[in-house]
Amino acid sequence: MSRIDLVDLNKSYGIFEVISGLNLSIEDGSFTVFVGPSGCGKSTLLRMIAGLEPITGGDVRIDGNRVNDASPIERGVAMVFQNYALYPHMTVEQNIGFSLRMAKFGKTEIAERVSEAAKTLQITDLLKRKPAQLSGGQRQRVAIGRAIVRDPQAFLFDEPLSNLDAELRVSMRVEIAKLHNKLGATMIYVTHDQTEAMTLADKIVVMRHGAIEQAGSPAVLYNDPANMFVAGFIGSPRMNFLRASASANGVVLAAGPVLPMPVSDQSDLRVGIRPEHFIVQGESSRFDMHVDVVEYLGGTRYLYGTAPSGEELIVEARDLGSVRAGDSVPVGFQPDQALVFSGTGDRIRTERQ
Amino acid sequence: MIGRAPRWAIAIMGLIALVWIIPLFGIVVLSVRPVGETMLGWWRLDSFTLTLSAWQRVWDRYPLADAFWTTAFLAGVSTFLTMLLTPAAAYAFHFLKFRFRRLLLIVIINAFVLPQQVVIIPLFRLWRDMGLMDNFAAVVVPYVGLSFAWSIFLVKNFLEDFPKDLIEAARIDGCGPVATFRHVVLPNMLSPVYAVGILQFLWTWNALLLPMLYLRTHVPLPVVLARVAGTYDLNWDLRAVAALITTAVPLIVFIVFQRQFAAGSQATSGGKE
Ligand SMILES: Nc1ncnc2c1ncn2[C@@H]1O[C@H](COP(=O)(O)OP(=O)(O)OP(=O)(O)O)[C@@H](O)[C@H]1O
Ligand SMILES: [Mg+2]
Repeated sequence: MSRIDLVDLNKSYGIFEVISGLNLSIEDGSFTVFVGPSGCGKSTLLRMIAGLEPITGGDVRIDGNRVNDASPIERGVAMVFQNYALYPHMTVEQNIGFSLRMAKFGKTEIAERVSEAAKTLQITDLLKRKPAQLSGGQRQRVAIGRAIVRDPQAFLFDEPLSNLDAELRVSMRVEIAKLHNKLGATMIYVTHDQTEAMTLADKIVVMRHGAIEQAGSPAVLYNDPANMFVAGFIGSPRMNFLRASASANGVVLAAGPVLPMPVSDQSDLRVGIRPEHFIVQGESSRFDMHVDVVEYLGGTRYLYGTAPSGEELIVEARDLGSVRAGDSVPVGFQPDQALVFSGTGDRIRTERQ
Repeated sequence: MIGRAPRWAIAIMGLIALVWIIPLFGIVVLSVRPVGETMLGWWRLDSFTLTLSAWQRVWDRYPLADAFWTTAFLAGVSTFLTMLLTPAAAYAFHFLKFRFRRLLLIVIINAFVLPQQVVIIPLFRLWRDMGLMDNFAAVVVPYVGLSFAWSIFLVKNFLEDFPKDLIEAARIDGCGPVATFRHVVLPNMLSPVYAVGILQFLWTWNALLLPMLYLRTHVPLPVVLARVAGTYDLNWDLRAVAALITTAVPLIVFIVFQRQFAAGSQATSGGKE
């Protein structure tokens, strides 16, 4: 079990800076998820923690010890790769036991630990097979098995489920959550998938251009994002951002409504409202939405259309009668669920928030 | 298999095969008929006698058994060393970082363009000064050394497609560079290593120039063949026998291992699809 600290971490390839001045604390036994757009440095950061990528500047500390120059094994971390990276010439059993063999464990101990891991992952009957004879989901289990036999200080996952189909992804996600509960080990997980991030994480770290935009619990990131980037990145479908300007009465949306918020004089504002925070035909701040497309998802519906100001809008409509493409429906929202951002994307907080 | 080949293709293939086989067949015929009968061509049937006298005479007159073992030893040792050292070198050049790596690689690969004849004289002097003339090392060392040019090139090319993930997984599992090579890289690159081994074996088995110059006491088959051919007698039957003995082993090796040549490129699966 261990705590990981990243202190002023830097990484450059030549003159190209991939990670710059990054600070982060990962608590012992926590589940931390890195998210961010492609190329923002998530994998690089994970590989620096793993010891696969040399560190240009700053420190990686595990339990307070600087481990910049330690090998992965000395750091006590195990990693699960996106492409599984199973050794094709070894059986499942040999794959899982390989790290123990390298660590000079005895034959019986290896066999015991491998069968234990196989039992946890329910792959006992696959032990004699080669990776080529396994399905994608089975391979991923083996890859996870290879990580857990070592009983590592920390598990690192780099998009482990992205090669699986949707259904399998859901069930593996649940299993990873169970595994975390069972082992109680520190886990760091890189993903593109919103749902994975929201459901698995104790702490989500949103990255952009090699820096942290915000780190916090899923609830904090969802309810109280620090800026427009995080607000737009967390939540699906994406938050709506509507143009607005400040006036003596408060924040005036280009779409019509006025939020009674004292915001110092700024002409270029954005107001963020999540699709699920709209109340169709509701009471509060209202305007008419022109509906272009209705997307029916069983339990809920999404309306795609435009606000009176011509801005595009996504609204979730759970509970109302028939809405068809081409209709105009009044939509409203609670002013206190609307977030205000400056033109540069920073959050502008009012007293209540 | 993608369907059946059309008839004309089979006919053309047959014709080409025939063109290749006829001379071989001719040599066999030459070796079992008296010289007198085949003076005007092995296909002449003016008179026809089958005799093993040529085989008898070659065997009596030339040290064939000794030459056979010498060839086998030289080719075997050189092939073994090349198969042992090439994958290690290719791995180091491809995956490890060390000083002068690029320069060294360029130097080694460039030996490829160097004709053997260029190194003969300097090597001759070197071996003479070192007292290595007539020593097997005098041919094994250049055999192995010169093979690196193409063998490292070939194996390193194969490694271009080797999944980097596997190397990193090995590091995570606690392997250093040597253990990674032994447990992860080598077992997955057997097919190019076999291909290198076969080529090197064929090449060293048939090599004439170096052993002819550097060896005296025990010489390999091609040198004996050259001696048989080098006399001014009318000895086409003897030459045929020597040629057959010399080619027999490479032919067998090729037939037995021909699948390894074809298999060369398809072995890297690496766990990806
Ligand atoms: N070996 C390298 N040399 C130069 N630049 C590199 C190298 N490896 C990665 N980069 C750059 O570093 C940046 C971060 O890459 P990284 O793989 O960490 O992104 P990522 O956030 O994991 O993206 P993705 O979500 O697509 O996996 C990218 O802009 C990439 O181009
Ligand atoms: Mg990545």
